[in-house]
Amino acid sequence: MGKPNDLVQGTLDLLILRTIDPEPMHGWAIAKRIQQISREVLQVQQGSLYPALHRLEQQGWIRARWAESETGRQAKFYALTAAGRRQMEQETENWNRLSAAIDLVIEGA
Amino acid sequence: MRWLDRLRMRLQMLFRRGREGRRLDAELEFHLEQQIAENRAAGMSAEEARYAALRSFGNPAAMRDEARESWSWNGLDRLGQDIRYATRQMLRAPGFAATAILTLALGIGANTAIFTLTHALLLSSLPVRDPGQLVRLAMDFHENEHSRNQPLSVPFMQYIQRRTQTMTGIFGWSTYDFVLADRGTSRGVRGAVVSGNTFESLGLHPAAGRLLEPADDQPGGGPDGWAAVISYRLWMEQYHGDASVVGRRVTVTDHGVTIVGVAPPRFEGMLVGEHPDLYLPVEFSAALNGNEATLHDPMANFLTAFARLKPGVTRAQAQAEARVVLPPMLQSLIPPEVLRTPQAHRVTLDVDSARTGWSTLRLEYTEPLLLLQGMVGLVLLICCANLSALLLARGSVRQQEFAIRGALGAGRGRLMRQLFVESLLLAMPGALLGILLAWLAGPWLAHGIHQQESQSYLNTRPDAAVLAITAGCACLCALLFGMAPAWAASRTSLEAALRSGGRRAGSSSAGARRVFVPLQVALSLTLVVAAALLGATVVRLRTENSGFRTQNVVFWYADFGRLIQQKGVDLVPVYRRLEQRMEEQPGVKAASVVSILPFYGWAHDGHFTTSGDAQHAATETLDINEVGAHYFDTVGARILAGRDLRNDDSDRNSCIVSQRAAALLFPNRPALAGTLHEVERNPENGAMVVRNCVVVGIAQDTKYDSVEEAVQPMVYFPITEQSRLVGLFLAIRAQSFDAASAAYRKALHEVAPTTPETDPATFGQLFSDSIAREQLLSALSGFFAALALLLSGIGIYGLVAWSVTQRTREIGVRMALGASRTRVFVLVVRQIAVLLAIGIAAGGAGAFFAARAVRSFLYEVQADNPLVFGGAALALVLIGLLAAMLPARRAVSIDPMEALRTE
Repeated sequence: MGKPNDLVQGTLDLLILRTIDPEPMHGWAIAKRIQQISREVLQVQQGSLYPALHRLEQQGWIRARWAESETGRQAKFYALTAAGRRQMEQETENWNRLSAAIDLVIEGA
Repeated sequence: MRWLDRLRMRLQMLFRRGREGRRLDAELEFHLEQQIAENRAAGMSAEEARYAALRSFGNPAAMRDEARESWSWNGLDRLGQDIRYATRQMLRAPGFAATAILTLALGIGANTAIFTLTHALLLSSLPVRDPGQLVRLAMDFHENEHSRNQPLSVPFMQYIQRRTQTMTGIFGWSTYDFVLADRGTSRGVRGAVVSGNTFESLGLHPAAGRLLEPADDQPGGGPDGWAAVISYRLWMEQYHGDASVVGRRVTVTDHGVTIVGVAPPRFEGMLVGEHPDLYLPVEFSAALNGNEATLHDPMANFLTAFARLKPGVTRAQAQAEARVVLPPMLQSLIPPEVLRTPQAHRVTLDVDSARTGWSTLRLEYTEPLLLLQGMVGLVLLICCANLSALLLARGSVRQQEFAIRGALGAGRGRLMRQLFVESLLLAMPGALLGILLAWLAGPWLAHGIHQQESQSYLNTRPDAAVLAITAGCACLCALLFGMAPAWAASRTSLEAALRSGGRRAGSSSAGARRVFVPLQVALSLTLVVAAALLGATVVRLRTENSGFRTQNVVFWYADFGRLIQQKGVDLVPVYRRLEQRMEEQPGVKAASVVSILPFYGWAHDGHFTTSGDAQHAATETLDINEVGAHYFDTVGARILAGRDLRNDDSDRNSCIVSQRAAALLFPNRPALAGTLHEVERNPENGAMVVRNCVVVGIAQDTKYDSVEEAVQPMVYFPITEQSRLVGLFLAIRAQSFDAASAAYRKALHEVAPTTPETDPATFGQLFSDSIAREQLLSALSGFFAALALLLSGIGIYGLVAWSVTQRTREIGVRMALGASRTRVFVLVVRQIAVLLAIGIAAGGAGAFFAARAVRSFLYEVQADNPLVFGGAALALVLIGLLAAMLPARRAVSIDPMEALRTE
């Protein structure tokens, strides 16, 4: 299984941004969603997740709000900002270009 | 707006850190609970679920830290932690903290005090518009060191203004003492006469009313008569800031004057140390002297000239232009016979920067101040060495603490930063206290510098620049003395520290501490040698035989400036009557009049020959003084042959020569009854005899204008109507100061009742003032040397005491094994003796350079005098041994059983 530490910092940021694009989520939900969608390959540890979330918040790409969760407890929900959406699109494009290039090298060499 | 939100968030992070921390904890806890719930849903029991969740969670503390890392203001956060911690450490050891702060206060305070003076005298820019563009014009006659920085005359300034392109707004400045009379009160005021365009050139704005303008600098003043500007200080002190002072009519030295405005605050004129309170136009000085001609006489040099460089022009360019302009200026303004003198060929016009104004104090005190600055720098180094040693000792006790912190993940940088913060926390209060000390010592220091004119003084309040330098100095100190302990702490080996229980540690720091003692000893030796040489100089100056007997002799300036303006007043009889009346008073032994005060620094010389063919004979140079009868009795010089001068007209062609002059002029025959001719040289026509006199007496040799100069041959002329009659001094020798004062007052009131009294100056004061510079240097350097010795002694004491404590067990074992008390004593002291020896050897080299540095201030004291070096080394050895012996005695009295039992 892929260790989340192998993920480059920027890549984790991209995953988080895309995950909360549809709707605001709290940290636990983000980790679970990433795990689900990647079919259990990517498991984000709390030690990487929360620092990343706080960093993204400091940079203004996501916005946090305390609200009631599905269990009734208060939780911190993160949502994408307009700048964050622009950043996400930018990073997606970068990622696509990068992975396409890597594919070319792997197949062509 | 995004950036506004971000800013708000950042501020929130700063001020609500606690709340954010709690929220983070809540968030992490929520995550944990979700994990536990998932585990339970997967079938684990409650306990298993919890354990599994915690295991996968990792280290919560590390995670919290990592999350916080991403918050901003981390540096500030850590700094706050360090400061809180350091404060707690300090409060736990108040004795140590107090000692450290006091030591630093002394070192930094001394530095600040000297730097305040240096700044005020040498560095402080004038508070005018663009001070960097101001220059000063002066003439240099290239004869000796006193012929530089000569003032200009009004015609010279006007010529330069007309003919130069690089400079503009040339103005002149001259100090003047006025008597200001307003509504019945009259007081002496120091002021200045300035050109009409001065304030405009300086770009100043009045605090009230207006400033002087070129229209005021006309004969008779402006359209409304004479205009004057008062200083801000005078406005506050005498008029309490009352705006009605503008337009007020007052009397300045018997002339009606209107006050038209107030100068801006903080403006103290162009001459550093002078604090003029009254500004009047240059034309006014002509009115005061009753002599309009001085303003048109090219040879009447009395104005210090300043100018402003045009934009884009450098001082070098202005200097080049001045060089070009000088010859045509001399040609067109100077009479031809003067043009032919060698002086006129040698003279140059100098253009110097005037950003910091000008001061004659600078000529005398620049080098001493720099020397003192060097000395206090050394004292500060010794302070830092002491503190470093102290901190190292404390650091060695905290080994365990550092080891644990290292184990918990603190990097070297973190530990070092912590210790630097602790050092800063000591340095800052030390600096504050030092500034306070400097502020208190300031007036005393300025008193040591100011000259006979008691109205000139330096501003010794520390201002912004000085405070900034002090703060920087404190930080530098913290860095210096904190470096060694910080580095030592960061090298802590975790195992060794934890194993040994932290007490026996510190062998490496011991080595470092041992380096400081020789360093301190070397620096102290340097200072002591310098101080001893300077002190010896003062002693030598004071014991030098000047030829005078200075006890109970007092001088007064005869202020006949107004008297002579009255028509028909002949001053010569006035002086003679004064002398007579003064001598008749009770308690007075002798009284006289003199032109040039001893030790005052003024000199007047002339060329003399005894040959009948005076115009073509070779001449000797003699110093000249003009005196009344009984002068020699008054100042305590003996008349060796012949008689004294007499106070009557029959004596007008007599003169008295000094021993050396007699030997010089009359080598083969007796001087008495010989004839002397005073000659003025003129390259064109040969020499011209200006005066003849008959020698009637030979006086003992005496010093003239300073103690340091060798005895010169002198001739004394009587006071006649040919002499300069204004500006003479009255002298009285009496049984006591009070008798002399009373005699002066009584005689003055009788003979010249309209003349104001002036302040007395005793002979002793004149002498002290003439060696003020050497005395100041000696006193301060002595103080710094004593301080250095004290600090070094404390350093040695500390080292030995700490060493004894460390070696308690070892000493106990030795004594149990049979070592005698003496042996133990020697053992402890030997270590210090070696360090002392090294220090003195190193210091010897430093002291050698110090001696050379002070050489220019010495008088008849050899700079490489072995007595001084030996004495200084001896003093250091004694102090070092004394400081070592006190704790060594404690070592000797250790009970072996107690020592072995303590673990």
